[in-house]
Amino acid sequence: MQDYLYDGTFEGFLTCVYHHYYTEQAAGICLKEEYQPSLLGGFQEVHTDLEKADRVYQAIRRKISYMDLRRIYKCFLSTVPDKEMILLRYIVLGFHIGSGISKLHGNPDVFAAQEIEKKINVEAERMRQFVRFSVMQGDILYARIEPDHDVLELIGDHFSDRFRNDPFLIHDVCRGKAMAGYQGKWYITSFAENDVPEESEEEKEYQTLWQKYFDHIAIKERKNSNCQRNFMPLRYRKHLTECQMR
Amino acid sequence: MQTLMEKLQILADSAKYDVSCSSSGSHRKNTGNIGNAHTAGICHSWSADGRCISLLKVLFSNKCVYNCEYCVNRRSNDFPRASFEPDELARLTIEFYRRNYIEGLFLSSAVEVSPDRTAERILESLRLLRYKYGFSGYIHAKIIPGVSQELLHEIGLVADRLSVNIEMPTARSLQTFAPQKKPKEIFAPMRQITNSLIERNSLKGPGNMFRGIAVNAPEHYLKGFSQGIEEKDKAGGSRADSDTQDSITAVSSARPLSRNRRRQGEDFAPAGQTTQMIIGAGGETDQSILNTSESLYRTFKMKRVYYSAYVPVVDSPMLPTRKTAPPLAREHRIYQADWLLRFYGFSVKELFTEKSQNLDPDLDPKVTWALRNLDQFPVEVNRASYDTLMRIPGIGAVSARRIVRQRRLSAVKFDDLKKMGVVLKRAKYFLTCSGRYYGEKRFEPEVIRNAILQMENGLQMSLFDDQWNRLEEGPRQEKLSAAGLL
Repeated sequence: MQDYLYDGTFEGFLTCVYHHYYTEQAAGICLKEEYQPSLLGGFQEVHTDLEKADRVYQAIRRKISYMDLRRIYKCFLSTVPDKEMILLRYIVLGFHIGSGISKLHGNPDVFAAQEIEKKINVEAERMRQFVRFSVMQGDILYARIEPDHDVLELIGDHFSDRFRNDPFLIHDVCRGKAMAGYQGKWYITSFAENDVPEESEEEKEYQTLWQKYFDHIAIKERKNSNCQRNFMPLRYRKHLTECQMR
Repeated sequence: MQTLMEKLQILADSAKYDVSCSSSGSHRKNTGNIGNAHTAGICHSWSADGRCISLLKVLFSNKCVYNCEYCVNRRSNDFPRASFEPDELARLTIEFYRRNYIEGLFLSSAVEVSPDRTAERILESLRLLRYKYGFSGYIHAKIIPGVSQELLHEIGLVADRLSVNIEMPTARSLQTFAPQKKPKEIFAPMRQITNSLIERNSLKGPGNMFRGIAVNAPEHYLKGFSQGIEEKDKAGGSRADSDTQDSITAVSSARPLSRNRRRQGEDFAPAGQTTQMIIGAGGETDQSILNTSESLYRTFKMKRVYYSAYVPVVDSPMLPTRKTAPPLAREHRIYQADWLLRFYGFSVKELFTEKSQNLDPDLDPKVTWALRNLDQFPVEVNRASYDTLMRIPGIGAVSARRIVRQRRLSAVKFDDLKKMGVVLKRAKYFLTCSGRYYGEKRFEPEVIRNAILQMENGLQMSLFDDQWNRLEEGPRQEKLSAAGLL
């Protein structure tokens, strides 16, 4: 038993799974940069090998199911601590049981993965809700987000279909990357603060209109801040136009 | 001349008492310049009252010729008035939509001059939005009672969802509070919408109950219809004799217009129709409110009935005074009961008894029902059918599906239930797991009732008596101690 260190990519993780089966069982799978060696057991750095990764990828798809492959990938996008080992146990159990694994709701390993997947789905939904574009010069839509989990790629199809004729940028501020989309296509690229375009002239006016609308649509006699906070947690409000000071 | 800012504020203030704001049920693709509809709907924000903001909800105009007692826009109310210009509104919608503030537009209006005149203006704005600006997002259009068939049809072709407000749960209170609105004028457009949907094979029906087999078959076309809602109350939801009753209403007019539209692939209100009524303005019981909803679901197969706790916005001798708090708890219980109708297979008759014509303020209607029918419990989760599982308090569609899924592979254990999303603090009194019961020692309604009340923390409890009147401190203490909460 030893710890595997990998580079943080999904392929790197799958290579670790390969080694878990063909080299030596994994005691832990950790990020190279964050690893602190333990006293017991050794560790080994795993070099991402696309061929090995692909074999694991295809095996999951064939022997477990396509749905579970998606679930594993989604969970991998999360920032939950020790997600790698949760997923490894899920994969091991999946090779044992087959496509029925997602039905075992009571199993602790399945439950753990199911909970992470739920978090990711909720986060992606929140991004569809709370992305707020500003119209920049040259009619580019620009939005800043700070999601807890790395869900940027999960919202690409949604926005690129919706804003087919508007070039848009969704900037994940904490991960220093952005999604750029236009004409129904999108890609993700690294993005820095000084790449941000200038705001257009009428932008402020529409922001004020929206804020006024937001204030007026509330029924004062029904004020319910708890309910509002449940749906719109405070940590998302930083980038919400309607929640800015005015 | 008012600025856009002033108009938006005034017309949002006028529109906010309309409840519906959902953007679900449509599958519109981006075929124009901008926008699409997300089947499940997306809420973009939540206002200070905790209600979601999904659509830009405004009135086209709040200059009203009607004088409905409960309405903030009634003719005799001293309230600032404004109207949009069609192009101004369409542009505002597009600009908000581009910034991802909203899913689309909810457009209603006060009756300016006449229902037809108002509908024309609404239609003009919606057409601009769809055709000039190429908007494929969500549009919810309000239909004013008394509108002509042709206009209604044209609006349906550009909107995703239509709604005609029934406003009051009985014909009598409609007559009292909104004498200018006639039940017949409310039901005629409802009927036309349902028929058009059947015609296009796109009637989906409320929730997953009431569906029946082939609702889209021609024999479901609604022909005549009893004139008032009161008759429906008497009939107790059954529609057996309504066809004969109402041969006066022209049968031919109930047919949907212009069949050939279907071939051109134009959708007519793909997200169906809804309606809403006000709670706590007239003196209705919960039973009569829900009876009306049930017959609306049965008859028109509408997607939803919305309930709106009456907020006193105008002074009227017939209505609760300005100081009265809106009956939010009651609205909540009625919504719970409405869900039981649409998703759990309950009927209104089961939820009430001779003695109690209102819902229990302290417990949700499913628990109340279960306590009255303890002979059907406890239910063994490893054997019971899906429909029976759905009747256990604390189990919903998700957890019932998970139970059924897992037990094909391995038995469901008590510890698994929580992981499946079952709310054990209620469910445990009503089920057994592999033959073992996990609730109280005595299987009696009062014992279970008090145990659940204690679990749910009696703090919110007992603010009301069984007529939904607010309790004084004394009687409230008595009620609490009777439940063993003090």
